[in-house]
Amino acid sequence: MITVTINRKKIELEKPVTILKAAGMAGIEIPTLCNHEMLEAYGGCRLCLVEIEKMPRLQTSCTQYVTDGMVVWTETERVVEARKAMLEFLLINHALDCPYCDKAGECDLQDMVAKYGPTTGRFAEGKRRHPESFEDPIIVRNMERCISCTRCVRMCSKVQGAYAISMVNRSNKTFVEPFSGGKYDCEYCGNCLTVCPVGAIMSRMHRHAYRPWLIEKEVDTVCSFCGVGCSMVLQVRGNSIVRAVPKKGAGSNKGLLCNRGRFGYDYVGSSGRLDSPMIKRDGKFQRASWSEAFTFIADRLKKIKDENGGSSIAGIASGRCTNEDGYVFQKFMRAVLGSNNIDSVASFGYAQAQRFFEGIFGQGVTANSMRGIPNSDGVFVVGGDPTAVNPVLGLQIRAASGKGVPVVAAGYMPGLMIFATSRLIPRPFTETALLSALVTELRDIKGISGKGPFDILINDIPSVSLGEAEEVCGIPSEDMRSAVDALSRMTNPSIVIGRDILQQPEGQACLLLLAALISLLNSRIYLLSELPNEQGLVDMGCLPDMLPGGRHLSVESFRRRYEEFFGVDIPSNPGMGIMEMIEAAHDKRIKALHVMGEDLVYNMPDSAYVKAALSKLDFLVVHDIFMTETAQLADVVIPSLSWAEKEGSYTNLERKMQLVRKAVEGKGMEEWRAVSEISKLLGFDMDYKSSVDIMTEIANVSPLHKDIAYADMAGGECMWPYKGEPLRHGMSLEGIEMPDKGSLLKKPEKDRIYIGIDKPLFHFENLSRNSAALSSIAPEPYMNVGKALADSLSLAGGDSVSVSTGTGSLKLSVQVDPDVPENSIMVPDNFGDKGAYTIMKWKMNSAIKAPVADATGVTIKKIKRAAEEVAV
Amino acid sequence: MLSENAVKEIGLIRNKYHDAQSSLLPALYVVQKEHGWLSPEALKEVGEILNVPKAEVKGVSTFYAMFRHRPIGRHLIQLCTNVACMIMGSESLLNILKERYGLEPNGTTGDGRFSLVVMECIGACGTAPAMLVDTDFHDNLTEERIVNILEKYK
Ligand code: SF4
Ligand code: SF4
Ligand code: SF4
Ligand code: FES
Ligand code: FES
Repeated sequence: MITVTINRKKIELEKPVTILKAAGMAGIEIPTLCNHEMLEAYGGCRLCLVEIEKMPRLQTSCTQYVTDGMVVWTETERVVEARKAMLEFLLINHALDCPYCDKAGECDLQDMVAKYGPTTGRFAEGKRRHPESFEDPIIVRNMERCISCTRCVRMCSKVQGAYAISMVNRSNKTFVEPFSGGKYDCEYCGNCLTVCPVGAIMSRMHRHAYRPWLIEKEVDTVCSFCGVGCSMVLQVRGNSIVRAVPKKGAGSNKGLLCNRGRFGYDYVGSSGRLDSPMIKRDGKFQRASWSEAFTFIADRLKKIKDENGGSSIAGIASGRCTNEDGYVFQKFMRAVLGSNNIDSVASFGYAQAQRFFEGIFGQGVTANSMRGIPNSDGVFVVGGDPTAVNPVLGLQIRAASGKGVPVVAAGYMPGLMIFATSRLIPRPFTETALLSALVTELRDIKGISGKGPFDILINDIPSVSLGEAEEVCGIPSEDMRSAVDALSRMTNPSIVIGRDILQQPEGQACLLLLAALISLLNSRIYLLSELPNEQGLVDMGCLPDMLPGGRHLSVESFRRRYEEFFGVDIPSNPGMGIMEMIEAAHDKRIKALHVMGEDLVYNMPDSAYVKAALSKLDFLVVHDIFMTETAQLADVVIPSLSWAEKEGSYTNLERKMQLVRKAVEGKGMEEWRAVSEISKLLGFDMDYKSSVDIMTEIANVSPLHKDIAYADMAGGECMWPYKGEPLRHGMSLEGIEMPDKGSLLKKPEKDRIYIGIDKPLFHFENLSRNSAALSSIAPEPYMNVGKALADSLSLAGGDSVSVSTGTGSLKLSVQVDPDVPENSIMVPDNFGDKGAYTIMKWKMNSAIKAPVADATGVTIKKIKRAAEEVAV
Repeated sequence: MLSENAVKEIGLIRNKYHDAQSSLLPALYVVQKEHGWLSPEALKEVGEILNVPKAEVKGVSTFYAMFRHRPIGRHLIQLCTNVACMIMGSESLLNILKERYGLEPNGTTGDGRFSLVVMECIGACGTAPAMLVDTDFHDNLTEERIVNILEKYK
């Protein structure tokens, strides 16, 4: 026990903490500037000086730890004088342009000076001059205001891991700069903005457009740009969002955001938003009233159902919509239209992977807190770049690496390369070789403990030696050996799995091998999730064979429960998956498609085929917030509300349920409300007054969500398994096929160029094109290519190329990245008609019931050299 | 672009230290010796070789006054003008440099041969006035001597 006395107050402590912390516990305030709760102590500003008895000099309380018997004074004359002097020093080089500065009103320095400082300085020698830097599209730098606290630099290096900025020069000439001296060219997370105590680094998006005291409303919500679901606050003035900021200490992100969450909100106020229902007549859209549109939809759907049966109608849900939207939509499809044809793009990977692992290990195996990653003793990452797909989860892996935890990165993941202790980059589609070699080795080292059914399966996995694997995947044996060494020492590692692992011909084998690794290493699973509510789609039964609560449709008792609740029968046969629907539309086997918020044309491979299929439908309804390429093809378009305009809940990749709250008014209608209106017209009463009513119903009927209420989510800790009843028994190994050795060791075809989907940090599906901020950071589509392939095609960074497949061609600019797998190029799918999906075909992988984009048949032609481009 | 030799030398330096950060200063010296200054491209290259983020390389290199971030002449004259040297005539040496080579403090000759920096005491007060040319030390300077010395640097 340590006893310390601060300002006569006795404080008892179990463990030594800094004086600053101890004072905080006792409610004694000590002013600080360079200290920040998200950063390690620095001791630079010397504002937190205190007097300690028996110590001749004043000490910085943010770095000095308490010792037993220590007596501290925080407000003596000496301290007050010193503090004043420190502030005066800071003002020597500070612009003091508060009336003009956006930070005024929430500026730490301003507050400090008002409270503790001198109002005038005595320094007459003049201040350093720095013109404000506007080189950057979204961050503006004003180094006349910088007080050199280094908070931004510590944030950028130690927490964000981007190492984009540093303190340059020395003493009174010090300031902060990115390497270029102008543009940041960084990850644009804006976390440096969060920690800058003054107005030296600020967002350009709301420049001079608001004052902190003019904020009318602050709304606690979660981000909707990926499955992490970071807690954030939307600040509102008038009916527009002026700023998105993290909420101190809240959520899994604990004060961090990524560029999408922080800057991407501007699409909400975009002028391109749909503001009225539209009905297509004679090939032209005409504005219609809500009731007109709903009646039109109900009449057409009824006719098609009467003539062709419910199974001729299909529905596609979106992971951008809330649980409430998803629940009502699947109920509408099943109970009202009598069709189990409901699915979403979650079935491209996330849903498949989750169901596979749940089948083996039991429901809820993927429900793990992200914060556990830095506390595990090893991380294995495969199938995508977490720092781009789920940026703030990616930061947990970087944090783990910062703590010395070994990180094994298997695959192309630029954002983790400098953090990985093992970098294993297989040739395209040879993950099976790599994974089976790892399983073979670890099986030998760890041994199979029990005689459980899955252990037997692990034993049956064909043995693949490192040498055999090297032959196929091209990774040197010694690299795999050292990864095996690292993995074998791990006792509670985290395995992070992205969807790319499924986007290949041997997707199911990959899943099986990963399940074996998970079991051998006793690890926690984290599935990367691109959409904010992908898990919610699964939980709400937006799947062709699952009911809400993760209950299989085919199990009669489960189906009965819902039938009784809905008061109607539900077809017992599983419906079509998303790709089957598109094929069926193409063959005219389905007549009508109801799309809730998904831009199918650009978010699925082979845009031309998808377009053609949709055009063949008798009837297409699309709910969306923009007139997407898919909406263009619709017969009726219903404007929806964006995530900032409605209430509801999301379930993130940790399976935490969180509230989405309305910040501004929109002109559209919640999907659930529109769908229940249509439902009423079809004679099925859905009488929901608000999203609360829907959640109440979910809590009543879904065994998993038993008794759950918004109040549980409001605290931000509504974790799995809620109060529900998950199916813990599982172990259904049915249908798992054991791959033979030949299929594990398939070599990529010689001289063939493969195309992979790049997931850029700065974009989100095809929605982010509507964000001026995100588009300004990354305006152009590109192609990442490895050194060898670039050389053989004599390509250099900045060149323009035309990339063609049998399906079409794209004009892209070249970026050379030595880590791109051999003979492949990585192209993003986010740029509408310039995205990778427009030129890719797909195949159905029947084993995992997921579509696999066809990555082959690529030719690349140089159009223009980088230098010529400059000359133009 | 760094020469092959410089890259090799930096590689050797890297091996002497436990972490990359520690090898940064000696590596930067190698580059400065070769190029005379540290261009942004060179900073980037050093960062890539050592696996140190380039922004950090820039931060470190701009902290130290010995590193130059602008091109300089082939030879750097560092002439002391502090008290002892001033008394012993450094003023007239400055004049000579100006008349003969058109060289001003912080300037470079048109032909890129010399750059001049005026120094505070370089620790040779007993034999003042004194200067450094590159890493060579010269003291007891007179108007005649300085010209003779500089003529040896082409
Ligand atoms: S925005 Fe993020 S990556 Fe960029 S400088 Fe700031 S902290 Fe670093
Ligand atoms: S820019 Fe802001 S956070 Fe960074 S050192 Fe300056 S005052 Fe501190
Ligand atoms: S990590 Fe995901 S949820 Fe968090 S701010 Fe970024 S996009 Fe939003
Ligand atoms: S807060 Fe302690 S020195 Fe800055
Ligand atoms: S004053 Fe010139 S060397 Fe000391």
